[in-house]
Amino acid sequence: MTAGQARSGTERHEAPGPASDTAPGGGDGGRRDLADRPVSHAPLLVAAGAAALLVAAPLVLGPYPVTTATRILAFAVLVLSVDLLTGVTGLPTLGQAAYFGVGAYTAALVGIHVTADAAAQVIAACVAGLIAAAVTGWIAVRARGIVFFMLTLAIGESVHQVADTWSALGASNGLSGMPPIRLFGSPPLLAAGFVYWWVLAVAIAVFAAVTLVARSPYGRTLRGIRDNEPRMRALGYRTAAARYGVFCLAGAVAGVGGALWAAQARFVSPGDLGFEVAALALLSVVIGGAGSLWGPCLGAALVLIVRDNLSASLGGHGPLLLGLVFIAVVFLMPRGVAGLVGARRHPRTRTEIPS
Amino acid sequence: MTSATTPISATTPILELRRLTRSYGSLTAVDQVDLSVVPGERHALIGPNGAGKSTLFATVAGTLRASAGRVVFSGQDVTDLPESERVRRGMVRTYQHASLFLDCSVLDNVALAVQRAHRVAYRFDRPARRFRATQAAARRHLDTVGLAGRQYDKAVALSHGERRQLEVAMVLAAGPELVMFDEPTAGMSAAETERFVALVQRLPQTLTILIVEHDLDVVFRLADRVTVLHLGRVLASGTPPRIRADEAVRRAYLGSAKTEDLFIDAGEPQ
Ligand SMILES: Nc1ncnc2c1ncn2[C@@H]1O[C@H](COP(=O)(O)OP(=O)(O)OP(=O)(O)O)[C@@H](O)[C@H]1O
Ligand SMILES: [Mg+2]
Repeated sequence: MTAGQARSGTERHEAPGPASDTAPGGGDGGRRDLADRPVSHAPLLVAAGAAALLVAAPLVLGPYPVTTATRILAFAVLVLSVDLLTGVTGLPTLGQAAYFGVGAYTAALVGIHVTADAAAQVIAACVAGLIAAAVTGWIAVRARGIVFFMLTLAIGESVHQVADTWSALGASNGLSGMPPIRLFGSPPLLAAGFVYWWVLAVAIAVFAAVTLVARSPYGRTLRGIRDNEPRMRALGYRTAAARYGVFCLAGAVAGVGGALWAAQARFVSPGDLGFEVAALALLSVVIGGAGSLWGPCLGAALVLIVRDNLSASLGGHGPLLLGLVFIAVVFLMPRGVAGLVGARRHPRTRTEIPS
Repeated sequence: MTSATTPISATTPILELRRLTRSYGSLTAVDQVDLSVVPGERHALIGPNGAGKSTLFATVAGTLRASAGRVVFSGQDVTDLPESERVRRGMVRTYQHASLFLDCSVLDNVALAVQRAHRVAYRFDRPARRFRATQAAARRHLDTVGLAGRQYDKAVALSHGERRQLEVAMVLAAGPELVMFDEPTAGMSAAETERFVALVQRLPQTLTILIVEHDLDVVFRLADRVTVLHLGRVLASGTPPRIRADEAVRRAYLGSAKTEDLFIDAGEPQ
């Protein structure tokens, strides 16, 4: 019996405390995350304020901005899944739009053929995203670095091809005719504000869940893999299994994002899971700051607003603007928007020159 | 090959190498090494630069695959097991050049070792800091090596000597039965080296230690047995006094800059 085995199970004696203090926000996750540093309450207050503003938004905004905000929230859930892989685990990916699309199509199919209940659609999409990632990820996680990146791209393109040609999914015309969602037996939610609140509630729940993962022992394991995978093996970790686990988790999260997207648009087309969506999601993570959780959500908002709302007034030069923003971020703030705040919050970590 | 041996103890060895060989292309860095270490033994591996000590460690630990020969741990052949599985059986190593999680906190570095040993590394039902036993064990290991005050600093902010201390804490935190230290005191200050020697002397007698060390003072204070490696082969293996007196060892080191360090600075046999 090893010392490790002798000690195993000690954790079982701990009181299984409720995870109540893992409220959304405060996501100083990722690169600066010190899983154990005494929590300061300032981020919690900021998060509560942001949540309050988000909840109040439909009361002051017109239906069009509310629709835009709904799309941003759904897209932000996709971006969170990319961040889980890219920022937390150090695996850049271009494949998450595939699981987002699987979730969106699943939700639309459930909506058309089974039930308009939004919760059922989200659950079905989550499971579908998880299964899709579990099947495809088995191959992808065997590779690392650029090969992994290329495999995710291949997965994304294959799933896009399937959606584009499969007649049961409407092929290139997409899937329309999804009825408005209902919630727990309510009448159909036709007002943009109600759909928004539902999407917001799910997005906040996902944010809280991803924050919890990032701060948990598993999150620490993932950061360890990001920083030094060979060392993890020398500590006894089966790192391929850990990477497979987070890949499945990210697939489930992206699936939820797809369901939220479908709930708002009530129409899904192959364009929703194309290369562009995957690239924009990765761009959002880079702009927001990989590894931080709230930063990429801001990145998601910025990217989607530029693509959908500003592009017209820029004479169709939205992609160009995004490209410039991307270059500026890479050179001026390598840790993204979150890096700017982080630098202020933790001024100068004591650094010594190694002798 | 082996010009000096002590009688093998009646106890079954915890680690047994049988004609272990590892080549880099045409260079045979470890050449048919036979070695056996009994439980609780403190076994030092010495030899000039390039003798193959680190390669031997990496092959035993599973970081490198053996070209030929077997590695037997606790009576089980582990030659074909990947590194992570060997660690799970209790064979844990340090690196000659500290290999840390530089972007993580010092505490997280040790906690990564502890949480695997505690089997909570894949849990995400609550924040890491709520796993009190794991956190406390990690802090205890940091305290042991004198890094308690730096737990919230990033590992990248540590000095060279402190990084070595952190490596020691991580290895002990991984729940080992056999610890393999590759030049643990290289780069440590005199005080840090002293702390390390005292720490190893305090470790439970059930723990088996294999240590590569250039500081012969450290070797002769810690080791029950010494094996001398030269050009990938075992030149001699025995108790410290016998190694000191061994003619073949003296001859092999003749002309090597290490000779004087090896046998003159080492002081009297214990
Ligand atoms: N990755 C490698 N590829 C090719 N040759 C290598 C490699 N690593 C080590 N060697 C060679 O193998 C031999 C043994 O090296 P090794 O690092 O095991 O020696 P060592 O006893 O640990 O030396 P030191 O005291 O300098 O740490 C040396 O001749 C070295 O040049
Ligand atoms: Mg070496």
